[in-house]
Amino acid sequence: MRNALLFGGLFLAQAGLAQEVVAPTPEQAGPARGENTGDYNVVESFETGYRFGVVDGSVGTYRSDVNYGNGIRLLSSNLTVNSRDSHGRWFDQIVLTTVGLGNDPYQSAALRVEKNKLYRYDLLWRLDDYYNPGLPVAAGLHLMDTSRTMQDHNLTLFPQSKVQLRMGYSRNVQDGPALSTVQLCFNGAIYCGSAGSEFPLFMNVRREQNEYRLGADVELAGFKLTLLHTWVYFKDDSGYQENGLASGDNPGAGVTLSQFQRSEPYRGASPYWLGNLTKNSKSLAVNGRAVYVAGRGNFIMDESAFGATPIGAQNQLVQVGGDAGRPQFTGDLSISLFPTANLTLVNNTSVNSTRIDGTSAYEQFNLATQTSDFISFRYLGLRTIANATDLHYRVRKWLSFYGGYHYSARRIEDIEDYANPGGPFSGAMYEQNNHLQEGLLGVRLKPVKAMTINLESEIGRGDRPFTPVSDRNYQTLNGRVEYRIRKLTLNSAYQQNYNNNSITLTSYSSHARNYSANAAWAPRDWFTLDASYAKLHLDSLSGIAFFAGFPQVSAFTSNQIYISNIHAANFGSRFVVKKRVDVYVGYSITRDTGDGRASAVPAGTTAPVSLVFTPVQTFPLNYQSPLARVSIRLNPKLRWNAGWQYYNYHEDFGLFSFYQGYHANTGYTSVTWSF
Amino acid sequence: MASDYLGSNVCKTCHADVWFNFYKNPHYKSIASGDQLPERTGCEGCHGPGKAHVEAHGGKTTIPRAFSLMEPQAVLDACLNCHARDFGKVNIRRSQHSLADVVCTNCHSIHKSPVPQFLLAKKQVEVCYGCHAAVRAQFAMPFKHRVNEGFMTCTDCHNPHGAFAPTWGMADRPPMMQQAVGNEEPCLKCHADKRGPFAYEHPPARVEGCQVCHFPHGSTNAKLLVRPVTFTLCLRCHNGAGSYGTRNNGITLLSQTHNMLDPRYQRCTTCHVRIHGSNSDSYFLR
Repeated sequence: MRNALLFGGLFLAQAGLAQEVVAPTPEQAGPARGENTGDYNVVESFETGYRFGVVDGSVGTYRSDVNYGNGIRLLSSNLTVNSRDSHGRWFDQIVLTTVGLGNDPYQSAALRVEKNKLYRYDLLWRLDDYYNPGLPVAAGLHLMDTSRTMQDHNLTLFPQSKVQLRMGYSRNVQDGPALSTVQLCFNGAIYCGSAGSEFPLFMNVRREQNEYRLGADVELAGFKLTLLHTWVYFKDDSGYQENGLASGDNPGAGVTLSQFQRSEPYRGASPYWLGNLTKNSKSLAVNGRAVYVAGRGNFIMDESAFGATPIGAQNQLVQVGGDAGRPQFTGDLSISLFPTANLTLVNNTSVNSTRIDGTSAYEQFNLATQTSDFISFRYLGLRTIANATDLHYRVRKWLSFYGGYHYSARRIEDIEDYANPGGPFSGAMYEQNNHLQEGLLGVRLKPVKAMTINLESEIGRGDRPFTPVSDRNYQTLNGRVEYRIRKLTLNSAYQQNYNNNSITLTSYSSHARNYSANAAWAPRDWFTLDASYAKLHLDSLSGIAFFAGFPQVSAFTSNQIYISNIHAANFGSRFVVKKRVDVYVGYSITRDTGDGRASAVPAGTTAPVSLVFTPVQTFPLNYQSPLARVSIRLNPKLRWNAGWQYYNYHEDFGLFSFYQGYHANTGYTSVTWSF
Repeated sequence: MASDYLGSNVCKTCHADVWFNFYKNPHYKSIASGDQLPERTGCEGCHGPGKAHVEAHGGKTTIPRAFSLMEPQAVLDACLNCHARDFGKVNIRRSQHSLADVVCTNCHSIHKSPVPQFLLAKKQVEVCYGCHAAVRAQFAMPFKHRVNEGFMTCTDCHNPHGAFAPTWGMADRPPMMQQAVGNEEPCLKCHADKRGPFAYEHPPARVEGCQVCHFPHGSTNAKLLVRPVTFTLCLRCHNGAGSYGTRNNGITLLSQTHNMLDPRYQRCTTCHVRIHGSNSDSYFLR
C-alpha cells in the first residue's frame, strides 16, 4: 500500500506541472496501481462535469483563440487493462484515454490494444471545432466555422518478430460553413482592377482525405528492411452560392451581384512508395531511404454569376478544367561512425526532386458583351542535393566539442506560359541555382554533474536566395545553461538569429533574439512550483514597392520596419492540503510592448502613405490568463473538482481602429470517479 | 559471461517495489516471451549481468549499466541495443538531440513513468517545455496550435528521435521535422487541402515552406501570420526588385491598379482567396 501511495504521489506531482488549461483535472480517482480482476489489472478514472464560458467583447476572436463553451462533458477518462502474466487470451494490454468528449471544441481519444507477439493496434481520433473570422483588414468578409475530424488506425502483426506486417488507415474530414469572396467585374476582363468589386459568398466546406497503408519490416543478417506503400485520396466538394442582392466592397464601380453559383470538385491521389534499409553495429550505423510519390489531381470548375453593371444586366460564365501532377523522389543515405568511444562522426546525403506540372483551360464568357479565352500553364521543378557532416568529440567528461558543415544545392526550373486557343506557347523557361553553405561550431561544458553549459554558433551563406526574406547571409548564436537535480530543474537559454538578404531596394534584414528561463521545483510530494519567462524579440526591415493613389505611373519605394517585443511568463503551483485537497493556481501572460510608441500613428503624421504603413510597424497587445482549480478527494474512488480560468485579450492600438479584444470567464465543476 | 546473468527473479528479491508493477512495463515483454537471450531479458537486458551486484550486496557502482551514472553516449548505446530497429529511430544518431547529449533518459522514465504510453517522464508537452521555454511561450499566445488543449502533441510535427533531411528549405533546416507523406511539411498532414498538387502553386510555399508566412507554434497575429496585416506580409516579397522569384527578375510587383491607399487593396486575400495554390487561376483569384 505504501508503494501504491508513493507511486500515486509521484504521478500527481508530475502531472500537476505546467497546467495551461484549467480542465480536465489531472488528479485521478481510484488506486494508482489499479485493481485485479481475474488475470487482469484494471486502472480506470473518469471525469465528467459541466463547463461554462461567459464572453464579453469580440466573441469571434474568443472563439478563434479559446472557444470553450457551455455544456456537460466527459472531460477526461483513462482506462488501462494489463494482463498480469502477459499471456492474456485475446489481449495483454488495453490503454484508452479521452479528452473533452461530449462537446468540447478539442476532443481526442487514443486507444491501444495489444497482444504480445501477435498484434498491436493503435487508434487516435481527434476533433477540432475550428472557428476563424477573417483578418480585420479583410473587413470581416471571410469566416470559417468548420470541424476537422481526424482518425488514425495502425495495426502491426507480429510486433516482436523479425518479420512484421503493418497496415493502417487515416481519415481527415473538414466540414462546415464558411464565408469566402469572389471578385467580379462583368467586363470580360479576368482581372478587374477598379472596375470590379468583391462579394461575400456562402461556402459549404466539404473536404475529405483517406489514406491506406500497407507495409512490412524484415530483419535479416543484421539489416532491417522497411517497405511501405500508401494510397492517399483527397477530394474537395466545397460549393459556393449567393442568392440576393450584394453591392460588394467597391460601391463606386456600380457593380452588383444578384446570383452566384460555383462548384469545383477536385480529386487528388498521392500513391507513395517507401523503402528503408538500416544497419547498426558498435562502430557503425547506416541508414538508406528512398521514397517516390506520384501525386496527381483532377479538377473542374463551373461558375455562373448574374448581376448588373453601369451598362446593364450581365450574365457571366466561367469554366475551368484540367489536371495537375507532382512526381516526387527523395533519397537519403546516412552513415554514422564511432571510431572511438569519444568520437561520433555522422554524414548524411539527401536528394530531392519535385516536379509540378499541369494543364488548366480557362474560359470566361460574358454573354452580353464579349468572350475572352486563353490557356495558361505552369511548370515548377525543384531539385535539391544536400550533404551534412557533423562531428562530436568528447575530450573529457566535462568538456566536448561539436561542429558540422552542411552544404546544399538547389535548382529551380520554371515555365509560366499561356496561349490563345490554337495559338503557340512562347516557350520561355527560367532556371536558377542556389548554393547554401553552413558551418556550425559548439562547445559543451559540464563543470559539475548537475550542470550543463552549451554554447554554439552557426553561420550560413547562400548565393541565390529564392525570396527577399530567404536565408542569405545568416548567423545564429545559441547558449543554454541547465542545472538539474532530483527536485529542482533550472535552465535558461539564449538564441539569436540574424539574416541579412540585401540588395539595392529590398535591404531585407531580420534580427530575432529569444531569451528564456525556466524553473521547476518539487520539494515535497505535496508541493510543486513551475515558472518560466521568455522574451521574444523580432525586428525586421523590408524594402517595399507599391502604388499609392490612382492613376500612378511609378511605384513608391520605401522601407517597412516591423518590431515585436514579446514578454511571456508562466507560473503554476500545486499544493495538497491534508492529503485530500489538491489546489492549483496558475497565471500566464503574453505582452507585446511593440516598439514603445504611445500611439499607432505618431502625432504630426499626415502623409497618406504614412497613415497606412506606420500603424502596422508594430502591434502591441496584452493577453493574460489566470486560473485556479481545486480537487477534493471525497473517498478513495471519488473526487469533486472545480476550476476557473479568465482570459483577457487586449490590443493597444487595434488595426486601423478595429479592435477585437475580449475578456472571458470560463470554468467547470466535475466529479472524477472510479468503479 | 553468460553465467553472470542471474535472471530477474533474483532482482525482485530486493527491488520488490520495481518488480511489483513491472508486468505493466513494455520491457516486461522480454521476460514474458521466454525466448530472448539473457542479455536481452528483463532487468539484466538493460542493466547488464547482476552477479557482481548481488555478490556485493547492492550498490550502484556494481551494476554494469547503472543509467544514473552513465555518460549520455553510453545510455544511448544501451537503449539502441534493441530500439535501433524501430523505423522511427533510424535517424537517432544524427539527431540534434543526440548530438546535444539529450538522450533517452532525459525524456523517458523507465520505472516511474506517470503516463500510460511510451514511458515518458511527464506528459509529452511538459517534457518538451522543460527545455524549450521559448516554444512554451509561443503556445501560450492568443493564436496557436492546440497543443496545450490536448488536441495536438509536439510529435505530430517533430520526431524527437531524429528525422530525415527536410525536403523544403535548404541545408539541414528546419531540424527534426516529422514529415508528411511525400516528404512534405508536417503541416499538410492536417491541412490536406493545402497539399495539392495544384496547377498553380504559390512557389514560396513549396520552395521555402509554410513558415515563410506563418509562425508554426503560435503568434500574436491572426492565422499565425508573421505580420499583423496581410499587405505588409505580401509586400515583403512582391516588390519586383533583384533577381528573386521564379523568373529571376524579382517577385512580381503589384499592378498599378493596386492603390494601397484604398482599403480594398490592403486586403490581399479578399481577392487572392486561393493564396496557397489554385487550379483555376495563376493569380490565385479562384
